Amino acid sequence: MKRCALLLLAAASCLYGVVALASTRPHYGGTLRLAVREAPISLYPADPSQSDSPVMRSLYRLIFDTLVILDARGLPQPGLAVSWQADPGNQRWQFAIRHGVSFQDGIAVSPDAVAGSLRAANPNWKIFAAGEGIVIECDAPTANLPAILALPRYGIAKRTGGKLIGSGPFAVKQWDPGKKLSLAAREDYWAGRAFVDAIEIEMGKTFRDQILEFDLGKADVVEVAPDQARRLAAEGRGIRSSAAAEWMGLVFRDDLRPDLSRDEAPDGQSTVEKLRTALAFSIDRDSMNNVLLQGGGEPAGALLPNWMTGYAFLFPTAADMQRAQLTRGEVPQAPAWSLSYDVSDPLARVIAERVVLNARDAGLRLQAVSSATADVSLLRVPLASLDAEVALTNLAAKLGLPQPKFDGDPPAALYAAENALLQSQRIIPLLYLRPAVAVRANVRDWTEDQVGEWDLQTVWMETEKP
Amino acid sequence: MSFGRKLMLVFALTVFLSVGAVTWIVSSVTRRAFERASEDETAALIAQFRHEFSRRGDEVVRRVETVAGSDAATRMALAVSRGSTDYSSFVNEAKALAENQQLDFLEVVDQHGTILSSAQWPAKFGYKDSSLPAGTAPKVAFLRQEELPEGAALSLAAIRPVEIGERPLLIIGGRRLDKDFLESLELPAGMRAMLYRNLARGFSPEMLVTASDVPQSLSQLAPLIEQVQQQRQDASALLHWSANPADDESMHAIPLNGPDKQLLGILLVGNTRRPYVELRNRIRSAALLAGAAGIVLAILFSGWAASRVTRPVDQLAAAAREVAAGNWNTRVVVSSNDELGALAESFNRMTAELLQQREQLVRTERVAAWRELARRLAHELKNPLFPLQLTVENLVRARQHSAEQFDEVFRESSSTLLAEIANLKAIISRFSEFSRMPQPQFQPVEVNELVQNVARLLRGQLRSPELSSIECRMELSENLGPVAGDPELLHRALSNLALNAMDAMPQGGLLTLRTGGKGDRVIVEVADTGTGLTAEECDRLFTPYYTSKTQGTGLGLAIVQSVISDHGGRISVRSRPGQGTTFVIELPRNLDKLEKSEFPPESVAISGSSARDQVDKE
Repeated sequence: MKRCALLLLAAASCLYGVVALASTRPHYGGTLRLAVREAPISLYPADPSQSDSPVMRSLYRLIFDTLVILDARGLPQPGLAVSWQADPGNQRWQFAIRHGVSFQDGIAVSPDAVAGSLRAANPNWKIFAAGEGIVIECDAPTANLPAILALPRYGIAKRTGGKLIGSGPFAVKQWDPGKKLSLAAREDYWAGRAFVDAIEIEMGKTFRDQILEFDLGKADVVEVAPDQARRLAAEGRGIRSSAAAEWMGLVFRDDLRPDLSRDEAPDGQSTVEKLRTALAFSIDRDSMNNVLLQGGGEPAGALLPNWMTGYAFLFPTAADMQRAQLTRGEVPQAPAWSLSYDVSDPLARVIAERVVLNARDAGLRLQAVSSATADVSLLRVPLASLDAEVALTNLAAKLGLPQPKFDGDPPAALYAAENALLQSQRIIPLLYLRPAVAVRANVRDWTEDQVGEWDLQTVWMETEKP
Repeated sequence: MSFGRKLMLVFALTVFLSVGAVTWIVSSVTRRAFERASEDETAALIAQFRHEFSRRGDEVVRRVETVAGSDAATRMALAVSRGSTDYSSFVNEAKALAENQQLDFLEVVDQHGTILSSAQWPAKFGYKDSSLPAGTAPKVAFLRQEELPEGAALSLAAIRPVEIGERPLLIIGGRRLDKDFLESLELPAGMRAMLYRNLARGFSPEMLVTASDVPQSLSQLAPLIEQVQQQRQDASALLHWSANPADDESMHAIPLNGPDKQLLGILLVGNTRRPYVELRNRIRSAALLAGAAGIVLAILFSGWAASRVTRPVDQLAAAAREVAAGNWNTRVVVSSNDELGALAESFNRMTAELLQQREQLVRTERVAAWRELARRLAHELKNPLFPLQLTVENLVRARQHSAEQFDEVFRESSSTLLAEIANLKAIISRFSEFSRMPQPQFQPVEVNELVQNVARLLRGQLRSPELSSIECRMELSENLGPVAGDPELLHRALSNLALNAMDAMPQGGLLTLRTGGKGDRVIVEVADTGTGLTAEECDRLFTPYYTSKTQGTGLGLAIVQSVISDHGGRISVRSRPGQGTTFVIELPRNLDKLEKSEFPPESVAISGSSARDQVDKE
């Protein structure tokens, strides 16, 4: 009897295991519904007017392939290009194009099409087809060209009949610019069909609308503001946060005020630089992150986060009000600075207001304004790439800083370049923000890399139990 | 200026002044009434504001009490009482609570005034609230200055404690006093309310909150605002927003104090003066219209009244002129019992008296004339009678002489008697002739031709050696036109004057015959350059039997005056001793008398030969 019972128990366990295995095994089918804030009016990845947010980059990757893709460590891996080789000097590169890849209209991706698409994305490069591959001749030595080509804006696109198509895992089924994008999985995708049959993306939704749609079951995945992630998670929603992948900080206008810049102090710092130093010391990043951001980020003292460089901890983030007041005291009269921020961004608003309060404690006069032309701007810039050099270069460009120069081997060259940018005192890093999403329980294998890009090709939909 | 015009002017002025006075009075009354109404409306609006302020205050108190009693507030109070300073768990609470209770401002502060959570300024956690009232928190709502990132704002706030544990919290909530609050006030037409947030020294246009259009020149509000800031009491002013008086606005400012008596706001109640100005303009327009109509009516009425009043006066004037012209029988019709009627009666009595006096004078003069005539006649007759008496006595005495002597005496006496008797006959003839002056037979007479005929007659005499040193000159006016007159009598009169003039120039001289026109009269002047006359002689010149000459009866000029007077004219004399004499005859044309005459309209001139007679040159 006891043996029979044990046998029955073993059989039941095996049956449960089979059922459980079947429910956790990826399977095809289903429609993934997303709601995002972005409202692009074009799907062209090289359009400079479009946002460079992780969401947009993720969407581009659904439609357009790049020659190279970066793995989780930021290392280049074959994409449309199966191999590449640089000539000495890293200025001329040859990429071999993968065979058997076709655009969504069924036409094969040829080296000519690839060359034409890349030429449109970067007119400064000389690009031409050569045999089974293409040749890219850069205007300067570019050692990290494969990482650059992994950026979504170098996705291979083709216009056919007025439509923009790519060779990505999904084909555009419906496109209502700025409102809705419907994608269908391609059966003939060279890297294998995606699990979900379709992806529907509602665009232009605020965080509030997104979470409402999520709660109403109208969306499977929605964006979550970094400062709301903890609360929403506490309320039982499935919150997924990436690594700190968005830089937030203050950027000073490039044109210094002549009357102040001429007043050079004995220590070599001008009055403007002293005031900026005082402002940097006055900012309480921990309070910002813990209270205002609700832990949705981490204090930033550098441009690139520590997970990317490993040395970011060397740049201080703690506030030092005493030094701030001392430094401020060295300048008899401080001008009133205006601080601009994105008025449509509530998080930017409270951060700006906190900066104003901290500055006031240091004796600095800072006035938050909505005007675009201010003395100081509070900016949020997402990290564009898992490659540190590409990310820093892109970040510097977005902040209006000089392009960094990487002389030597990493990570020393990277540190030197980043430190040079910080020493220019044009910027005051505040925070790294962690992009977050709310994911419904039936969305399985949701993954995102450290810069917040979603890997929607591996997502599969579990049939919800009634 | 005629009486009619004067009367019209007086009427017009009276109407104008009356309309002006009425307009001024009506305008003044209207302005006072408008100001009273404006004051009443302002008071009502202020009362409404205070009522709304109180009502909203009660509502704010109720909402803040709800927040203070909420689970979230309780959780925060418990956490604080346990010593938690984790602002991250509080930071969003105030905003959520404020949204639930529809409060614009909400802060949770600890007992030290440190902000735990702020709805209006979430980033301000950990900072002190500088606007907390000193001392015990008011039980009712109060005006509070809210610190905001973009500046400051006014709120209607309330404070309620959360008494849990040893560290109570304070909930400070409020509603913004802004445009919405002002819009909630039910303003009468033409009124508006503005709120000045007294959050800076002096006047700052940015501090003004309006529910309607922002005034164009806000600087006009500055003196009023500054007055309230200094005096801390109500003030009023009339603001001129533009050159158009209709844009003027009466502005009343009321200070709004906080719990610590600090001036936090100023309520501005504006009342447009447009209705008053438009009403005033309408009154003025009506006054102008009434004035114009009144002036027209005044003209018409004054014309009617003047004609009514002046008609008797004109009749009196015409009667006076008639009397002046010698028609003393003129009477004025008395048609009223007023002053003019009395005047007319007085005039009639006066003319009657004058008639009586004239008749009496005539009688007196007639008696005097008869006496004078008798005296003259006696004198004239006595002269020839005395030789007659002597001659007859001499003849009687001659009877005693011889026949030859008698005959001789008789012859001489006879001739003497005949001569004297002839003299007596001549004297009697002249007197008889004077007494038989004929009435003029009117017919058209060309005076220039008459004068020329007289001159022609005189020229014959002037050729004589005794008178050759006299020059006769004529100055005749052209287009003189005819007069109605008796040509023979006029010829005789002119001839008499001319002969007298010649007699006045024994040493020779210039005789001037001059004609001219003066209105409806014809002027004839006979001037000499003789010895001239004294004033006394001039006065007595036309008296019958008065003569300045050694010979003559003194009846010549009397006859001339009689002739001229019978023609309705008059004769005057200008003379000064040594400077000659000028007789001036003014003859009325009297053409209306020709209609009754049998003579044709063509004029007639009498030649010297056809004259009925010659006037004596005596």
